[in-house]
Amino acid sequence: MLQKMLKPVSFFLVFSFLLLDFSVQTAHARMIDTNTVIAAQKERADREQVTAFLGREDVRQVMIQQGIDAVEAQKRVASLSDAELAKISQAMEQLPAGGDGIGAIIGAAVFIFVVLLITDLLGLTHVFSFVNHKR
Amino acid sequence: MFFHSLTTSVKRQTQSHFIQAGNRMIAGLLLLTLPIFLSGCGLVSTGRLPQTVNSPPRAMVAGVPFFAQEELQCGPAALAMALHWSGLAVQPSDLTPEVFSPGLQGSLQSGLIGSARRHGRVAYPIAGSESLLAEVSAGHPVIVLVNLGFFWYPKWHYAVVIGYDQERGEVILHSGLNANEHLNSTVFMNIWKRSEYWGLLILPPDRLPAGVTEEAWLTAVAGLEKAEQWREAAIGYGVAQKRWTQSFGAWMGLGNSRYGLRDHAGAAEAFRRATLLQPENGMAFNNLAHVLAEQGKRKEALDAAQRAVELGGPLLDNFRQTLARIKTIPAPKNGRKREK
Repeated sequence: MLQKMLKPVSFFLVFSFLLLDFSVQTAHARMIDTNTVIAAQKERADREQVTAFLGREDVRQVMIQQGIDAVEAQKRVASLSDAELAKISQAMEQLPAGGDGIGAIIGAAVFIFVVLLITDLLGLTHVFSFVNHKR
Repeated sequence: MFFHSLTTSVKRQTQSHFIQAGNRMIAGLLLLTLPIFLSGCGLVSTGRLPQTVNSPPRAMVAGVPFFAQEELQCGPAALAMALHWSGLAVQPSDLTPEVFSPGLQGSLQSGLIGSARRHGRVAYPIAGSESLLAEVSAGHPVIVLVNLGFFWYPKWHYAVVIGYDQERGEVILHSGLNANEHLNSTVFMNIWKRSEYWGLLILPPDRLPAGVTEEAWLTAVAGLEKAEQWREAAIGYGVAQKRWTQSFGAWMGLGNSRYGLRDHAGAAEAFRRATLLQPENGMAFNNLAHVLAEQGKRKEALDAAQRAVELGGPLLDNFRQTLARIKTIPAPKNGRKREK
């Protein structure tokens, strides 16, 4: 029963998504409205924050210790979607910003990257529902 | 009463340990430190609103009139008080059709926000007691959503916080049928908690909140655009530019609002400033292209649209269509352009 339903339902869904995409594109031959601009600026700030974090020398050290390729990590940041970036940036803000025990704190942040960027993209975990499998 | 007995029992115990060290002094010290212990486990015990920034111990907002609400009309009443303070003489009954949802027998938060925007006021949501104290001490009344009932028997209510007194542990509000009601801070925090400490500022577009952030302000002002309050939106973005001089969003918003006001020269100027701030961002070039096209500057419009397409990004499709559309505009002296 379910098997029988699967095909028509998925065809219907694919078709409706096509329609959706189409309507969005026609609406787009216009000025970019301010809400879109604000959202894009937010995303840009998130990306900058995450990239800056990955670029720090102490962070690089921890990543090398844990066997993570810093260049690869940067590339993955570039391929993340807005929603994922926002989540990571949010998680980073919640980390304690203390000066001592820096290794532990950065270790925790790097751990977030390990979980979110690598395992999630490999499909081992399922933290995000919208993972961008650009591999 | 409970805490009182707790205090004495703790005191008694400690006294037995330190009987030779001077009972009174210890007891006094203990009493002094008690609030510190209590504030750790629950902010409600101290009778003060929790705060970490240095807000003054008491504050009162001047110029907030009181409108006694009619039945179920706390939303329109609260909004009318806040709008009055912001310089608009509206009555609660004027707002009822915009705010009140008859089917729900009440007013939604989005209803208040939308109505404020339609009157050209910036609706800026805040959350938590720290923001509340900061805003009230800056002279801004705050509409709060509280639950007067229980979680299993909700009775939602809007009131306007117009002052507080931390030393007496009171919040002062216009609520329901009571003007200048002095409410115990503990009670207030308990009933406010259920809305996750939701508060709303209703501000003239040239007045920034005390605890403002660029993103939140721009988002709030963009709401005015949605309500087609272009003039007020332009004022709001103007204020943003003065505060955050490198704000790309503020220039883009200003351009869009001026475009809404049909000030094409002004809009083009704003978008140009935005392109200077972020020359790698196609959005500003895209909008600039549209405005230039409307001004009849086909050649310049084509250049800007081309630049947007070259820069690309997630909105590339949009940029391409802009370019395609401008290409369809016939070259000069073809009667299509209306304005210069």
